[in-house]
Amino acid sequence: MRSERCTDDMALSKTIYNVFFRRSSVFTVTIVVSTLVFERAFDQGGDALFEHLNRGKLWKHIKHNYSEKTEE
Amino acid sequence: MLEATAFPVAGPLKALVPGVIINEEKILIDPKKPFLCRESLSGQSPKTGPAVTVSINGKAGVRFAHTDIRVPDFSHYRRPDVLNPQKSSQESSESRKTFSYLMTGGSAVLSLYTAKTLITQFVTSMSASADVLAVSKIEIKLDQIPEGKNMTFKWRGKPLFVRHRTEKEIKTEDSVNLAELRDPQHDKDRVVNPKWVIVLGVCTHLGCVPIANAGEYGGYYCPCHGSHYDASGRIRKGPAPLNLEVPYYEFLDDDTVIVG
Repeated sequence: MRSERCTDDMALSKTIYNVFFRRSSVFTVTIVVSTLVFERAFDQGGDALFEHLNRGKLWKHIKHNYSEKTEE
Repeated sequence: MLEATAFPVAGPLKALVPGVIINEEKILIDPKKPFLCRESLSGQSPKTGPAVTVSINGKAGVRFAHTDIRVPDFSHYRRPDVLNPQKSSQESSESRKTFSYLMTGGSAVLSLYTAKTLITQFVTSMSASADVLAVSKIEIKLDQIPEGKNMTFKWRGKPLFVRHRTEKEIKTEDSVNLAELRDPQHDKDRVVNPKWVIVLGVCTHLGCVPIANAGEYGGYYCPCHGSHYDASGRIRKGPAPLNLEVPYYEFLDDDTVIVG
């Protein structure tokens, strides 16, 4: 079983290597594209974490309380 | 048998430190440890590594100098794929290369993100927005200032003096001998239109606000330490070292000036 997993892993890493890393041009493109993806994920994840930690304290969480009052 | 020993040598010079015999530390034998390289023998055999080897890349002779220095076993630092010298490293080359490139690419992604964020921060802070730029300018209607009077405006948090000079003042300041000035500057270099003197109302000594139409020269007088400025804002007497600062300004028409 161990050898099977080993070969699977090796096949996967071989594919990754051949697709993304073999040519320097493709490697560069991979870096740039994954930076874009990473940036989006990191920024939005950070914002989501911040809002989760400050739930109920931010203006957008308590805004509806005050807008209802002005309507009345 | 190579043992770490040192013997005092009899000679004319007396050794500062008496020679000591260092007993080699006991090596714990780990029989499960595999033979990976020549150095890994030191955990296996009670002696140090073999003194004589016969192989192509083996040591040609026995070196007795520094035999007490043990060569460390670097097997822990090697990749597990290439630990076994009997195994071909070729079949693991793809996965090893993938790992290396993954690390390189990952750090490249992180540094690219960091660089992009930093540059964005700097560029956004350096390019001021239009409302910030608008605050930094002031438009002054000059027809409200009568001749011979000085008006003070607030500009960028500092007082700004706008002085409507009389013909007499213009003539007096124009004919001042530059040799008697502390900060020699001709009146022509300090004004755009000789009728209007626009200077910052901050004394160049310690930053007080001078009083207009006062002092021995009829221009400005700083009450803090007694600096006298003339009607062109030049320092004439007192402790201040420099003339009053002239900001950048331009006339839109005869009655409007924009400072900033």
